[in-house]
Amino acid sequence: MQEKVEAQNILSMNSVEVLYDNVILAIKGVSVQVPKGEMIALLGSNGAGKSTTLKAISGLLKAERGRISRGEITFQGVDITEALAQERVEMGICHVIEGRRVFEHLTPDENLTAAAPRGMSRSTLNAEKDKIYGYFPRLAERKSSQAGYLSGGEQQMLAIGRALVTQPKLLMLDEPSLGLAPFLVEEIFGILQKINKDEGLSVLLVEQNALAALEIVSQGYLIENGRVVMHGTAEALKSNSDIQEFYLGGGETDFHNVKHYSRRKRWLS
Amino acid sequence: MFYRLSGVHHANYVSDSRIFKVPADRNLTAFIFLIGLAAPFIIPSLYLNSYMLPWLIWTAAALGLNLVTGWAGQLHLGYAAVMAVGAYSSIHAARFGVPWEFALIIGGLTSSVIGSLFAFAALRVKGLYLALTTLAMQFVMDWVLTHSPAISGGSHASLQSPTLALLGQEITTDTGFYYVAFGWCVLVTIFMLNLKRTGLGRALVAVREKDFAAAILGVNSFYYKILAFATSSFIAGVSGALLVATFFFLAAPEQFSVAVSIQVLAMVIVGGLGSIIGSYFGVALILLVPGIVNGLVVTLSDGLGMQIDVETLAHIPNAVYGALIVIILLIEPLGLGKLYGNIRDYLMVWPFDQFKK
Amino acid sequence: MDWVFLSELAINGALTGLLYSLFAIGLVLIYKASSVPNLAQGGLTMVGAYVVLALARDVGLPLWLAIPLAAVVMFGLGFGIERVALRRLAGRPVVMILMLTLGLDIFLRGTTLAIWGGTSRSMELGVSYDPLFFDDIFISRIHLVGAGVALALFVAFMLFFRTRTGIKLRAIADDYMASWSVGISVERGVGLSWALASVVAVAAGVIWGEIQGVDQALSLLLLKGLTVAVLGGLDSILGAVIAGIILGVVENVVSDFLDPLVGGGSRELIVAAVLILTVMIRPHGLFGRHDIERV
Repeated sequence: MQEKVEAQNILSMNSVEVLYDNVILAIKGVSVQVPKGEMIALLGSNGAGKSTTLKAISGLLKAERGRISRGEITFQGVDITEALAQERVEMGICHVIEGRRVFEHLTPDENLTAAAPRGMSRSTLNAEKDKIYGYFPRLAERKSSQAGYLSGGEQQMLAIGRALVTQPKLLMLDEPSLGLAPFLVEEIFGILQKINKDEGLSVLLVEQNALAALEIVSQGYLIENGRVVMHGTAEALKSNSDIQEFYLGGGETDFHNVKHYSRRKRWLS
Repeated sequence: MFYRLSGVHHANYVSDSRIFKVPADRNLTAFIFLIGLAAPFIIPSLYLNSYMLPWLIWTAAALGLNLVTGWAGQLHLGYAAVMAVGAYSSIHAARFGVPWEFALIIGGLTSSVIGSLFAFAALRVKGLYLALTTLAMQFVMDWVLTHSPAISGGSHASLQSPTLALLGQEITTDTGFYYVAFGWCVLVTIFMLNLKRTGLGRALVAVREKDFAAAILGVNSFYYKILAFATSSFIAGVSGALLVATFFFLAAPEQFSVAVSIQVLAMVIVGGLGSIIGSYFGVALILLVPGIVNGLVVTLSDGLGMQIDVETLAHIPNAVYGALIVIILLIEPLGLGKLYGNIRDYLMVWPFDQFKK
Repeated sequence: MDWVFLSELAINGALTGLLYSLFAIGLVLIYKASSVPNLAQGGLTMVGAYVVLALARDVGLPLWLAIPLAAVVMFGLGFGIERVALRRLAGRPVVMILMLTLGLDIFLRGTTLAIWGGTSRSMELGVSYDPLFFDDIFISRIHLVGAGVALALFVAFMLFFRTRTGIKLRAIADDYMASWSVGISVERGVGLSWALASVVAVAAGVIWGEIQGVDQALSLLLLKGLTVAVLGGLDSILGAVIAGIILGVVENVVSDFLDPLVGGGSRELIVAAVLILTVMIRPHGLFGRHDIERV
């Protein structure tokens, strides 16, 4: 039974704790499972620990003086808790970090080249690039201009495209919709969905824009104060009254309601 | 003795912003001050004169640089040139017949004016570019110094310092020189300790952290940068003058070359940016350890019966000095002050912190 | 006005300037690949020259073998410097990194002199000291050779930064975190840039060692190299070459006018003035990248 679950989940994170600077406990026992070929969302407000969760999976914690102090992470059944960031990329985990951080002084084409894994042949790289330009035709148009001068949406597309060059099996995105116009968010999410369908790529999406995220994912985790407080299918989450109230902007509007606070409180304990 | 935090509770802002938050610190400082006063009677004159005295004056100078680099966050690689300005103007003034008290102030003020020129570079650029500009300005000042016989003292490029006299007393003994250096260092230290607690100190830190943001909050970063450079240059100028008056007795351009600028910066950074006690440690390390290591090498090679080349021996202190900078930065980038702080914080609650976990 | 004399000054200035470029290319390489200002390049150049001499004199190898071997040794040293020192300070404020490289510079110089002593040695490349004549213009042969080496390195590195490895190095300079996120080994990239800069230091050490002797003065090239690098834009190799030529010509021609007025020795002043003016007027130099700020 256990093995069967392992085989289905491409990534499994078991009660992971992360310490920054050996003092600050950023996440306190988060468990997240990503089934193979599915899209999963991590929802939650600012500072809840979503980005830290992604960094724990991609190994970028080290760059910020953080470390996993408890728990384990397995990817395709292999324990990667101690692996280096670049080893994880080689295994097929790629993290599109927050804030559209493209290589500004390189052209979009060079951005893609820079992400090419070691030993990838020129023809494979070109095929990869063509595929990415196929997904994001806007990038193809501007592939020789300086990436720093692309628009926000184009930079986000480039960041995703750059991650795809590494030929990931699990793509993690940190707030891809941040600061983008709704129609662009829709476009990018649409493309993500297409890639997910076409290539069977598993996706772990961190979002504050819960409404948009729940439209495309199959399951969601709600994180608050460094803990998973709710987990369910997208449908279940969408219809949950708490989620509606706090994250989807629906529900009660009476701010004097004491219940509001106490209900939120229940998750924190 | 142990658990010095016991019974110390700060209930209001005034008590929390005291210089010595922990009474034990005040007692320790008073004890060290007394040792400093008694040093001439404890320490042999040779050590007093060749180790203690330069240590104190360089510490005062390093504190001045710490003000501009550690507090206000402005890189400065031309500090020695500013010291030179103070040294030369004081000595010229003293030779002209101005009493030393005023000559020192003249030196400090001239340094302030010239040193503020560096601030204009700091208004335009920061970080690496500021470092390079100040480095270039150091070269320009060096050049002016060596190419103006009127300043540097004729063809020999050396300028004899007149006998130091303060408050009507001629100072000629090692003990006297030591007390002058000690007094100056204590003065600068008290100034720096208090600076932390004033609006000026906080404004400087705001400018360091983000000058744009500071400007938005109403901190005039233009004004504070100039003020920081002017104040630190004053300290530099007087320290430079005292260094010549009590230690070198003869001013020469090499005493204030680029290498010296780098040395003072190394003292500040090895000691810890923004740390006062760190500056004391940093200066001691950079000034004294290379010589000590050299002494050890000599003793060791003699003991083992090895012959070490004279030239090798001459260059070992430099290699050690460079290695010290690198090693301290690798161990603790925030310097010896931070290391001291860590140990102190650990001992402060020892052994009770063991129970916390 | 003596035009022949002036053009001789200009041509020789340009050649000397290319030799400054040779030194500055090392600085630019490291800055381009890691945004770290390397103030230890002077020390590295000195070590490079001494290693060549050690292999040639103390071991007794012919120079044509000693130079490439020294390049290999220095390549390893460059990697080692990254491994031991730079890696631990990645992401720290620039003041600490500047101090680290300054400390390295002092350490390298001190160690070199402690091992080989301070007396000036000669490189003895075997290039004739007789100048070449073009019409009435004298040109030094070794300067011509050095300029050729500088240009060859320039072409080689221009091509290198178009290769996949070169692009990765530029990516690292842009954003460490983003580089890690796509699996680029930032550590190896920065190490490679130090290794290449150390190889450049061997070239600069050999040529300058031949011109002015192998001694501590080699490390004093740092100010000129920095000026050239900043004028060219710190991360532009083309900039370093062109800025080198400009500085060389300006220094040679202006000092010829200025020296009689101030009693000689105005070269250093001119170099410092060029550095100050560049930073004040155009901090990113002739060809440097602008930092793109978006809101």
